Amino acid sequence: MDLNSWLLDQKLVVCVGSGGVGKTTTAASVGLWAAIQGKKVMVLTIDPAKRLANSLGLEGMPPEGAKIDLSTMPDAKGELWAMMLDSRHTFDDLISRIAPSEEVRDRILANHVYQQMSATFAGSQDYMATERIYDVVSDRDFDIVVLDTPPVKNALDFLESPGRLIKFLDQQVLAWFLEPAKKGLIGSLMSGGSALVLRLLSAVLGKSFIEDLTEFMQDFESLFEGFRDRHDEVQKLFRAEGTTFVTICAPTESSTDVAVFFQEELHERELPRGGVIVNQRHRSDAGTDSAQEVLGEVVAKLSTDLQDKTATSILARLSMAHKRLTDLSTAEASVISPLREASMGGDFYQEVPRLDTEVNDLESLRRIGHHIFAVPAVIP
Amino acid sequence: MNPVAKLLGGRVIWVTGKGGTGKTSYAAALAVLGAAKGRKTLLCEVDTSRPAMAAIFDQPADFEPVNMAPNLDVSNVHWDGALTAYVQTYIPVKRLVTGVLSNRVVRRFLDFAPGAREMFILSRIVSLMDDYDLVVVDMHASGHAYSMLDITRSAARLFRSGPMLKRAQQLQEVIMDAQTHTAFVALPEEMVVNETLETVDRMREAKLLGGDPVIFLNRATMPSLNEEERELLARLNAEELTPQAREFVRAGVWEDRLEQATQESMQRLGDAFGHMPILVPPVGGGGIPRHVVAQLAVALGRQVGVSRRELPWT
Repeated sequence: MDLNSWLLDQKLVVCVGSGGVGKTTTAASVGLWAAIQGKKVMVLTIDPAKRLANSLGLEGMPPEGAKIDLSTMPDAKGELWAMMLDSRHTFDDLISRIAPSEEVRDRILANHVYQQMSATFAGSQDYMATERIYDVVSDRDFDIVVLDTPPVKNALDFLESPGRLIKFLDQQVLAWFLEPAKKGLIGSLMSGGSALVLRLLSAVLGKSFIEDLTEFMQDFESLFEGFRDRHDEVQKLFRAEGTTFVTICAPTESSTDVAVFFQEELHERELPRGGVIVNQRHRSDAGTDSAQEVLGEVVAKLSTDLQDKTATSILARLSMAHKRLTDLSTAEASVISPLREASMGGDFYQEVPRLDTEVNDLESLRRIGHHIFAVPAVIP
Repeated sequence: MNPVAKLLGGRVIWVTGKGGTGKTSYAAALAVLGAAKGRKTLLCEVDTSRPAMAAIFDQPADFEPVNMAPNLDVSNVHWDGALTAYVQTYIPVKRLVTGVLSNRVVRRFLDFAPGAREMFILSRIVSLMDDYDLVVVDMHASGHAYSMLDITRSAARLFRSGPMLKRAQQLQEVIMDAQTHTAFVALPEEMVVNETLETVDRMREAKLLGGDPVIFLNRATMPSLNEEERELLARLNAEELTPQAREFVRAGVWEDRLEQATQESMQRLGDAFGHMPILVPPVGGGGIPRHVVAQLAVALGRQVGVSRRELPWT
């Protein structure tokens, strides 16, 4: 099996990794590579810094996504789409879809707690990524969907957050919480065990907050089934045939650590471990000859019109640069070796060299795609 | 005043930046320097399930500050501890607090209640200010750091009355204080500079910057080739070469590009802020956190007249 045909067999590729490792870029490269081969691809990013838009030269992308102009790549046979997630927008959509009536919908959308939660609660963004991915995969006819995820250094938070929301809103919690409310909100907080705790919470968090929250939860109760069903579907999707998780990291100690940890996490959660991509890898093939021996003649030939010392200094400089690059390459190899080992439970392990230029256009994305899919990878 | 001196002379430093830029190392190095300057310093790591301090100091940080060096304590401000500490200030009866917090439903509720997590953690950090001259906080990556500080602003809508609202107002005062500084760690890469500029703008607009922001351009290497050398390098790069010769030229081009990128990043950051970022050359240390922090402390120490000898920890 080569990696290229592996990619064409996938339906959902989830890219995970810590921040600053080139996750967004890699997701875009994977998408572009599949699109070039004739697939209709959607790349979904939930990164608030709008970096994918940046790297594709897109400004102000509409919320439903946009088709990327591939006219500069005449050999591209498929389509590349991109979408950025605005958690508020997605959350509102979801509420509108599963609310039992317009009245309930409006009340929820106007609730302070809801507004804050959908706008600023860090977890809701993660939650919405998984929520949206379900829509994109099931409702729209893309061959492959690539999901870029938020930079996480703690567990795979974005996979957990739907579970957290469900737990929070499960029937038992709602029942407990709403029991005194049904007897008349804060007014009758004095009765029963949950009332006492609620009273204490009011003292700590403020009465109006607890009131807003109670109202929110009352309305949310009617949405619970819808939420749980979605959650179950998303969890099923993550484990479905054609779904794969690709862990992305840079050749640094901290990001490698996180990537090794993710390998274990994926395994424990029984999620499909696709592969590991080490980005931004410095490479140098150490030769034993000196710069003078290897390059002396060429330098002399090319520098006849320049000062003598320029030839000498450039040779010295190249010699040092080569040593620094070789040292860095060796240091990286030892930093990433535990990850290479840990990746053996997945489908592949691949290293992508650091490109000479910044990755901010389609052509450089294609070059990265080439390094991932067209260069032999380690396949356990 | 030298910006590093200004940071170290303040009361609080939030250290943030795009992921992978070296935030944690900078936070630790600044704390080490603050302590060397004779200020009683606390370094906080925040709400992380993968604590980093044990790799830098001799032992892991705990919720209660642990002394790591003269004048330097380190605390792991985790969610559990911050929550208990917060509840205790309002419910003085310890058994009651334990009772409330051991209730499964309450735990679930507090785990999820929007904004509560950020509020409890910030509260804890600010309450520790009483015991220290300087508090250095290793924040999350820029987007999340912004959300955390911004909670204090949206709290007025969220907690319309009561203790949380009052607390949010107190936190805002600290955040807006001229002695509260934000240090951004950037790299000489286009995307990183973009995100840094974006975050500073957002924070300024949201009134989350107390003092002027200080920007560190990490792994900066200034251009070192003269015009003729660059010309010759370009000619070599365009030439047909043996694979071995190509490796040398590639290495030369690689270093030159890094230097050009530093120049460009410096320019962009300088134009945006009216003053140059602080350039910090790549430090050695072989990627070992403890060594990296030590080297960084020495490098930054030079800017404020702290010599290697005055950094016993390194």
